[in-house]
Amino acid sequence: MFDSILIANRGEIACRVIRTARRLGLRSIAVFHHEDRHAPHVALADVAVELHADVPTAAYLDIAQLLDVAKREGAQCIHPGYGFLSENAKFAEAVEQAGLAFVGPQSEVIRLMGDKIHSREFAVKAGVPVSPSVKQEGDLDSFVEQAAKIGFPLLIKAAAGGGGKGMSIVRSVGELAARARTAMGEAERYFADGRVYAERYIERPRHIEVQVMGDGQGNVVHLFERECSVQRRFQKIIEESPAPNLPRELRDRICKAAVELAASAKYRNAGTVEFILAPDGEFYFLEMNTRLQVEHPVTEMVCGVDLVEAQLRVAAGEGLPWKQSDLKQTGHAIECRICCEEPEHDFRPATGAARLLRLPEGDGVRFDGGIRQGQAITAAFDSMVGKLICHAATRLEACDGIVRALDEFVLLGVSNNIDYLGQVLRHAAFRDGQLHTGFIAEHAADLAQPPLDDTDRAALLIAAALGVDDFRRLAYETPEPHASIGAWRN
Amino acid sequence: MALEYSFTLDGVEHGVSIAARQPELVLTVDGRAHQVAESGALNEECALLTVDGRRYQVWRTWEGNRIHLRIGNRSFSVGYEDAITAAQHHAGGDDTLRADMPGVVVAVNASAGAHVAAGDVLIVIESMKMQINIVAPREGTVETVHVAVNQTFDKGAQLISLHAEA
Repeated sequence: MFDSILIANRGEIACRVIRTARRLGLRSIAVFHHEDRHAPHVALADVAVELHADVPTAAYLDIAQLLDVAKREGAQCIHPGYGFLSENAKFAEAVEQAGLAFVGPQSEVIRLMGDKIHSREFAVKAGVPVSPSVKQEGDLDSFVEQAAKIGFPLLIKAAAGGGGKGMSIVRSVGELAARARTAMGEAERYFADGRVYAERYIERPRHIEVQVMGDGQGNVVHLFERECSVQRRFQKIIEESPAPNLPRELRDRICKAAVELAASAKYRNAGTVEFILAPDGEFYFLEMNTRLQVEHPVTEMVCGVDLVEAQLRVAAGEGLPWKQSDLKQTGHAIECRICCEEPEHDFRPATGAARLLRLPEGDGVRFDGGIRQGQAITAAFDSMVGKLICHAATRLEACDGIVRALDEFVLLGVSNNIDYLGQVLRHAAFRDGQLHTGFIAEHAADLAQPPLDDTDRAALLIAAALGVDDFRRLAYETPEPHASIGAWRN
Repeated sequence: MALEYSFTLDGVEHGVSIAARQPELVLTVDGRAHQVAESGALNEECALLTVDGRRYQVWRTWEGNRIHLRIGNRSFSVGYEDAITAAQHHAGGDDTLRADMPGVVVAVNASAGAHVAAGDVLIVIESMKMQINIVAPREGTVETVHVAVNQTFDKGAQLISLHAEA
């Protein structure tokens, strides 16, 4: 095992990695931009070194400065976290060229999986299902004939397209030719390139992913699946493991496909293979994320493992810490991403300061945070400030537990999605496990906060009034015994 | 006693005032009376509040003229206009500025015939141990100063009048 580590990240994931590193006795070296000088990861690490950049995020993307700090502080390995340089093949390469261990996969595997077309072709070769699609290569008639074989509904897209132009959902063979002709015309007008392609259109798809861990020699184990279908703005907000209402046989096939893909790539370290699952049980490779995921804690909770420790052991050349038969799912874990944003305004990011912060407690409750009371939440970084996770014996108990924890969670001074997440977790369709990636849009009306009743609104205004110095003084100013309630903000 | 404090929730203004302090606290919200009891306040940020028999845990923090609260497991942000600003606003519609609460005059900065600009501090009063600036709501000429330094006045008393606009 190493005796020192540099964490090339910030926020909750930097804190998360530092905690395991410290537990294993590694000296932890944090980096930070000036804007983050009061951030928790700076305080938590054994050493913290400032990086310089005009734009705060640029500091965490500066390979030369990171390697310089690593050398000066004597780091033996670098953990990239997620985001920033975590899936940058050049960074992985530069770290290894500098004689340090990169806590992640080989740079060529990062490069392969980072390319949508190459990774898809690689998946096909590895025997992993990809969504059927047909490229238009000849005339309209031959395209229609080929496309019809995909089955319906299907989606026609402009090959050069984007923004929905030249895109059309076709539900029956009868309308295929006409729709294809329209799409080609639109594609020609908008992109000066009339070529189109067709792919299977999946209604109410689920996002199912598999955590894998490889040794770089072709040995790969999986740590089961995660369901990540509840998304807003194409980003996950609630993840869980195991996936609800997923037949065991189907789950096993999905996990097996993930292992086969990773083994074919001789994948090293932790990775995640993402799939789209159609309501008919067909599943298709989406992409492979070559890093630790935001949602890794749900896997840790149900499998009883520390994925960061496993990452460090693999990076140190100790090999895989488990055999497949060692790994079991116990109970159910749900994670909610706590984001500073305004759910009522299309989830736009919010800024402010965490003026009051009280974290929930309780059995099975875990908070992976990167926030302190008083800390400013600026537009410089991502709006996610932490993750609330609850582990319980059953899914409904985990739902109830995380709802209680969300209720207890006090984050005042900056708009956030805590109450909104509570609405989602309380929703009957969520509790039934009726999940798909359009869940938020489908239930938008139900998920809005209900109006306050008269007493609750009065209580809120009274609580506000009693928080105003002179109102409070008027309310409690002599005579006794009211005055004895105490001096507040004088 | 009927001094009303104004709070804004989701863009809607609400008035809160004290109806009775004994034998128990009664506050009116938008004209409706509610029985109020507070207990178990460990610190200024956390309190247990009972309103009409319903119990609430309240978390509170302040930011300028906003109060952020968590109550009934939901978070809100309430704007408030303190009595000072409210008094100024309420006086603003008239040519005569009046006291919204009893107090004493601390300073008089303008005399009859003086030309003043909107926002000029004309009189400083002290009410409830706070100094409050009475400012000119508009540009104009002072017609009458109704009070002098150290003079006490009652709620609603005339403080200063401007010439009616032409």
